[in-house]
Amino acid sequence: MRQSRVAEGELSDEGLLAGMAVGEQAAAVSFTRRYQRRVFGLAYSMTGDAGVAEDVAQEAMIRVWRHAPVFDPRRGSVASWVLTITRNLAIDALRLRRAVPTDPDDFAASVMRSNEHNPEDSVHRGDVRHTVRTALEVLPEEQRRAVVLAAVYGRTALEISEAEGIPLGTAKTRIRTALIRLRAAVEHAEGVDHER
Amino acid sequence: MSDDMEETGCDRFADEVAELALGVLTGRDRAEALSHVESCPRCAEELEQLSRVADTVVQAAPEVEPPMGFEVRLFERMGVADIRPRRRLRPSRWVPAVAAAAAAALAVGLGLSLSSSPAPTVTAQGHQNGVVSANLVESGETVGHVVAFGGARPWMSMMLADSTARGTVNCVVVTDDGVTHHVGTFVARRGYGAWIAPLRVNPEDLRTAEVVSPSGTVIATATLG
Repeated sequence: MRQSRVAEGELSDEGLLAGMAVGEQAAAVSFTRRYQRRVFGLAYSMTGDAGVAEDVAQEAMIRVWRHAPVFDPRRGSVASWVLTITRNLAIDALRLRRAVPTDPDDFAASVMRSNEHNPEDSVHRGDVRHTVRTALEVLPEEQRRAVVLAAVYGRTALEISEAEGIPLGTAKTRIRTALIRLRAAVEHAEGVDHER
Repeated sequence: MSDDMEETGCDRFADEVAELALGVLTGRDRAEALSHVESCPRCAEELEQLSRVADTVVQAAPEVEPPMGFEVRLFERMGVADIRPRRRLRPSRWVPAVAAAAAAALAVGLGLSLSSSPAPTVTAQGHQNGVVSANLVESGETVGHVVAFGGARPWMSMMLADSTARGTVNCVVVTDDGVTHHVGTFVARRGYGAWIAPLRVNPEDLRTAEVVSPSGTVIATATLG
């Protein structure tokens, strides 16, 4: 169970969504300022085009604003919900414009570059983003490409096998193996956190 | 889970469960895999775990400052009129408005029940009290959320989704001194409900908030302190 005692002036994501759900503009402003860099960052990392990324990010934030009343906390975190909306819109934008998406290696590289802060920085401790960035970094390149193509760009195993020039079974194995390794990394990090 | 996967049925769908988690399985493969998962608790658990991990990959994307004017253009599209310079939001400035708007929405829009207590008048008095929030948990699963707002007229909002709560239920809070306080009586429709009510205790003193059936059974609990 996640619980938070929110300090003055700092509402939880869920609290801000509750405000947005009833049309409170100040909540929308605060939520936007909390998430716009992550939303734009994901869109830009996927499209490599600042204009397209802005369109995607704006549409994502508007959908969050409109659909705040139907957010279901059982299905995941607010961050996961917001970024999945963004990802889906970026995929649509890339397809609609027949644009060339960022190479998965470039996406992974941008993800890993963002990890270049001091990893022992207390800000990063317990942050799943840091864990996943590190885990992606140590994955074999072919597994990293496969899981990024699937998780970020929504590519099927068949599409990955064609793009990479590998048998379908190999693509499926790479996807699953990478995901299982990421899970192990997340579980290990959570275990370390619990011991602290 | 790896041992479980050695079973014939689970083994056959091992790759597909990962692809389901990533949302990239389509057509007949998807239908067959879903059919197996629905009848296999172990693969259902595997799917849930892998889905959570899959979600984290997009969360790992780097933060990038949007172009100049992003906010202005966005707020114009949202119809947000009052665009103030960046600052930390103080809940006291908008929480009363949220409460009032929520009460109105609940009463006329959602058709959900509100406390029998009359809705108090709320004004933006600028009180500086803290806000406390926690997930409502039922049988280990999150089924909603509680937010308690302080100030001269404390409020509590509660949202339930896919709970086993049906019909009239009571909302109670337990304070740090162990005393139980009745907040209100509400209606949950097929496990869903949202309501807001005045709170007669300081949110900082809350230990738990509970959804309780008329017979006294605790349906869901939020640990607040």
